[in-house]
Amino acid sequence: MIKKELLQKYHPTIGIECHVQLKTISKLFSGSANGINDALPNSQTNHIDFGLPGALPVTNSNAIDLAIRAGYALHTTAQKFSKFDRKHYFYPDLPMGYQITQYDFPIIKGGYIDIKIDNKIKRIGITRAHLESDAGKSLHPAGSDYSLVDLNRAGSPLLEIVSEPDMHSAIEARIYAFELFLAMKYAEVSEANLFYGNMRFDVNVSVSSTSKLGVRTETKNLNSFRSIEKTVEYEIERQIKILEKGGVIKQETRGYNDAKQITIVQRIKENADDYRYMPDPDIPPILITDDHLKRIHKTMPVLPDVWRSRLSVLGFSDLQINLLLMAQTDTDNHLLDFINNNLSDLNKAKTFVNWIINIELPIYQNNDENNFKDNILVPNDREKLFQDAYLLKEANKINSSKLTALLETIIKTNIKIDNLEQWATDNGYLQNSNEEELTRIIQDILSTNPKVVSDIMNGEVKAIGFLVGQVMSQTKGQANPKIVQDIIKQSLKL
Amino acid sequence: MAKKLSRDDILKLAKLSRLSLTEDEVHDFDVELNTILDFISALESAKVDNLLPTDQVNGLTNVLRDDCLIDYGYSTESLLENVSNLKDHYIKVPKMIGES
Repeated sequence: MIKKELLQKYHPTIGIECHVQLKTISKLFSGSANGINDALPNSQTNHIDFGLPGALPVTNSNAIDLAIRAGYALHTTAQKFSKFDRKHYFYPDLPMGYQITQYDFPIIKGGYIDIKIDNKIKRIGITRAHLESDAGKSLHPAGSDYSLVDLNRAGSPLLEIVSEPDMHSAIEARIYAFELFLAMKYAEVSEANLFYGNMRFDVNVSVSSTSKLGVRTETKNLNSFRSIEKTVEYEIERQIKILEKGGVIKQETRGYNDAKQITIVQRIKENADDYRYMPDPDIPPILITDDHLKRIHKTMPVLPDVWRSRLSVLGFSDLQINLLLMAQTDTDNHLLDFINNNLSDLNKAKTFVNWIINIELPIYQNNDENNFKDNILVPNDREKLFQDAYLLKEANKINSSKLTALLETIIKTNIKIDNLEQWATDNGYLQNSNEEELTRIIQDILSTNPKVVSDIMNGEVKAIGFLVGQVMSQTKGQANPKIVQDIIKQSLKL
Repeated sequence: MAKKLSRDDILKLAKLSRLSLTEDEVHDFDVELNTILDFISALESAKVDNLLPTDQVNGLTNVLRDDCLIDYGYSTESLLENVSNLKDHYIKVPKMIGES
């Protein structure tokens, strides 16, 4: 760790490029399967992906539609004219000798992602986003003198989203990446599975003690929010240390080592890459009409930032709101609508959110042999169950531990219940508020615990809790603890 | 006359193409590439004032296909027949990491 004063002397600047793998069935320019993870190497390929002479790439219309969706998720509208270019470089995982990408006319220009930091909204600009085909995957077996190439990924559709250098801390970088992830998930642009590399982040970091930007390094292929934060932290400190010793930062490409949480130089860029871009003569330009845009816009869901502001009235922490925002796409896409529809009664809405976060979601995320992922409540069932349970709670007919048990049982067993109060009575979940019966039980307990009673009479009021516990256990948890306490106090004339 | 390719230009192109050339080959390419450039330079006499750059000549736009799987009739085995070195269904190539 370096000293705080040093950190304050330098101003970090961060920009992020993110490769988003689009959720298409087939590849960007060929009809082989996209996104089949763990398939036999080179089995999801064809003559186009192999770059054989004479092969003709044809653009996947769904990739265009998904790019339009991504545009809306980035708060902008796709460009009416875009085209594809060849970016030349030679590498074994790129059989054609060039990548098909978009150079001077990308499908998306502008847009933004809002991030919430220190309770303020900060806007991170989007420079551009362009469609391109992915390269193959290379393995470098340790200790061997060769590399292995799998072309299953070659030709998969990517949208590369380039941010403005608008971020200035590791936390901002992490939050931006998370918000971008949510936006792509909500817009149904990508499976957004970080484990399978569906979103890969390249992080550019520079520091400067003057108004002029410093030399930046690029750390490539990060696939977790934590590694983005760690990379930025590490690079800021590494660069400051070099500058403080009078050194210079080299413009270079680095990789992140997760085990050591450091970045390592991969390639020093001596001069700008010479990619010799040229328009791809095989692929005619893409024109997008207003009707096409309208048709797609109609199908866009409410986006995470809108939900965030709607749910802010609940007064929950960012962490809890993030849990809900994540749960939306992991459940049935109706969870947030359900909360939203109940916002007019804030107490009720807060109760529902607590049930969702503390009872419902943990059941689905349960990783033991019982898999409850198929038991996700359908919107109508959740509505009825929660409303009925709330009535029982408000009428004080059930105590909170019994209520939790009731909700857990119903969600886990996926049973439909018409009359919840009747069902809860039959299954022993309701509180016993029958004062006559409770008084009888309490008298019994008082007479069998004379020592406790005298302690209480002598001022140890806390001991009442022990007696309440006895009553609860004798009634198998069905007694209403508040009424029990009242009756005890009455009996002892406290 | 086109601008002549220098020896440095040829070495740079070779580097970008990941080719190592012998002195004789550098000489041969110097002659051949400059001959090609001279031939192409005839285009420089064309008057192109007030014309937009042309990157498509067929006037086509939106040549698209539906998002579905296509069986092109080539098996993976037949595609891999073109590969000189295989290992466990992977394409085996000289080690990539560690080179500049």
